[in-house]
Amino acid sequence: MNHRLFLWMAGLTTVIALAPLGSVAGQTAPKSSKAAADAKTPWGDPDIQGTWTSDDTWGVPFERPKNFGTRATLTEDELKDRQKRVQQSEEFVDTGGPNAHSPAVAELQAKEKGEAPPAPAQGRGRGVDSAPVPGHWGEFARRPSHQTSQIVDPPDGRLPALTPEAQAKLDAKTKLRREAIPASYTNWSYYDRCITRGVAGSILPVIYGNGLEIVQTPGYVAIRYEMVHDVRVIPTDGRPHLSSNIRSYMGDAVGHWEGKTLVVETTNFLGDRMAVGVNGDGGAPYSEDLKLTEKFTRVSPNTVNYEMIVDDPKTYTATWKVAFPITQEPGYQLFEYACHEGNMAMHNMLNAARMEDKKAAAAAAK
Amino acid sequence: MKPSPGKKFSIILAAGCAGIFLCLIPAAGQTSAPRIPRLPDGKPNLTGLWQALGTADWDIADHSAAAGPFFQLGAIGAIPPGQGIVEGGQIPYKPAALEQKNKNFANRIKDDPEVKCYMPGVPRAAYLPYPFQIIQSQKDILFAYEYATTNRLINMGKPQEAATDTWMGTSNGHWEKDTLVVDVTGFNGNAWFDRAGDFASDTLHVVERYSLLDANTMNYEATIEDPATFTRPWKINLILYRHREKDARLLEFKCVEFTEQLLYGDLVRKPGK
Repeated sequence: MNHRLFLWMAGLTTVIALAPLGSVAGQTAPKSSKAAADAKTPWGDPDIQGTWTSDDTWGVPFERPKNFGTRATLTEDELKDRQKRVQQSEEFVDTGGPNAHSPAVAELQAKEKGEAPPAPAQGRGRGVDSAPVPGHWGEFARRPSHQTSQIVDPPDGRLPALTPEAQAKLDAKTKLRREAIPASYTNWSYYDRCITRGVAGSILPVIYGNGLEIVQTPGYVAIRYEMVHDVRVIPTDGRPHLSSNIRSYMGDAVGHWEGKTLVVETTNFLGDRMAVGVNGDGGAPYSEDLKLTEKFTRVSPNTVNYEMIVDDPKTYTATWKVAFPITQEPGYQLFEYACHEGNMAMHNMLNAARMEDKKAAAAAAK
Repeated sequence: MKPSPGKKFSIILAAGCAGIFLCLIPAAGQTSAPRIPRLPDGKPNLTGLWQALGTADWDIADHSAAAGPFFQLGAIGAIPPGQGIVEGGQIPYKPAALEQKNKNFANRIKDDPEVKCYMPGVPRAAYLPYPFQIIQSQKDILFAYEYATTNRLINMGKPQEAATDTWMGTSNGHWEKDTLVVDVTGFNGNAWFDRAGDFASDTLHVVERYSLLDANTMNYEATIEDPATFTRPWKINLILYRHREKDARLLEFKCVEFTEQLLYGDLVRKPGK
């Protein structure tokens, strides 16, 4: 849909980059893989600090396609296919892809030369809307994932059945999002509105901005997410959750260490708004009873295994689990993502919708 | 030499609580100096929930009490009086910049980035009327501000040049004795200093200095330099206080949705149409 592309343009000044400059936090040369995987902070906690990305799971289906049944990993042949796609996406990022030619730039260049602007290609219009998806903004898996889906439990890799109430909420939301002429900013997702992507939406891989940064100090672990500049401060000193009267989009997170695994339990969510899915909008809105349990385990110098268990009986008829690795990549850096500050898209989309209203009113008056 | 009783105490204390969260260890050899929390590497541990008192976010300069812009809010919408945080009292604006500041003030309800829930920039983030959390690791230091979930990471490694201009700038930090010095560049020039319209351009350069005065108070000083806006560098100075309430923690103030009706309301379909 066009508005996504507009949002991309809105994010132009602030978007991710795979910049070559700068040191990567936490990438001091380890003596051995084992040592780095077992690294400890000076105060004795397992050290999972650094800049991480879920890029490697980009392209792995969230729910497992039914033909895989309960098979959680790819066969050798399937893996080769995915490897090919990974290479293709890497080439796309390197070269800008088959649509690297930007109509907007071509228009400017033609103007400079005093020539007529080139005809719009591939049925697209001119200007911002005609710009192809710029490859260098996109992120990509650097190695093929063996997983057939991001959901690993239930064994078929598919979301458990929704409760009737949750299905009704999902239907209402879908209707709202698909309204041909949106009435209000509330027609759009909380992500499009630059409010947040929520806890799950902030780490589930998407086309760009999959970076997160972990910082530790005695008694706390903090996670900052690049997209929509979210941040979670997680106490690990054994304190209980906040009063249930204090609710928020990112919820109240408390953590503890189980061996080398950081376990984070998050409750106190605002219900009926966000979903546990892509960009915090894919799927049924969760209830205020949602409890997320996340596990972070460093298994190699550059890999943390991430797990998220979703427990919300008002929404799902069973608990379910997502699992994938997050990795450190050379040169990968987080940039300020000033989403709301640059959200011209919302203004433009609503403005266009009101113009459509006017047109419709004029047509009706005839 | 036989250690003095004070020294002996500090040694016992240091040995007894090495590695414990917020362990209070007197500065080496300075038993009379205020005790400040330190990390195992000996650096002052600034980790905690901090907040400025006072009215600097209303106006960083000295100002009298005044009516607020919305009479409907009565006393709760009025502007409290405040002693400024500007050293010497005067912000050395160039003439054109002073004109802009006055324009900003006149249009503050429309133009103040805080009204629109935009990121506050530096130094404003330090004295917004919201707390912020410092998370100090053995390497970099995270500042997470409650307002708008703004955050910034202070790079304590090799200084990095700003890759691009941003609201919060690019922060490189280092320690000068027990003071955390943060050099901030790469601003986009859109942030203001307060609700009174004080501002700088994208050539702004801020050097912040955070020094613990004792375990629960911290001096904050910032040198403001912007040749496009000011005739000379100038300083602000204030005190940050640690939240000591039981279980105080950073909460969520995602203000975007509180601004949408203001920003987009005229483009929302009117009922009945």
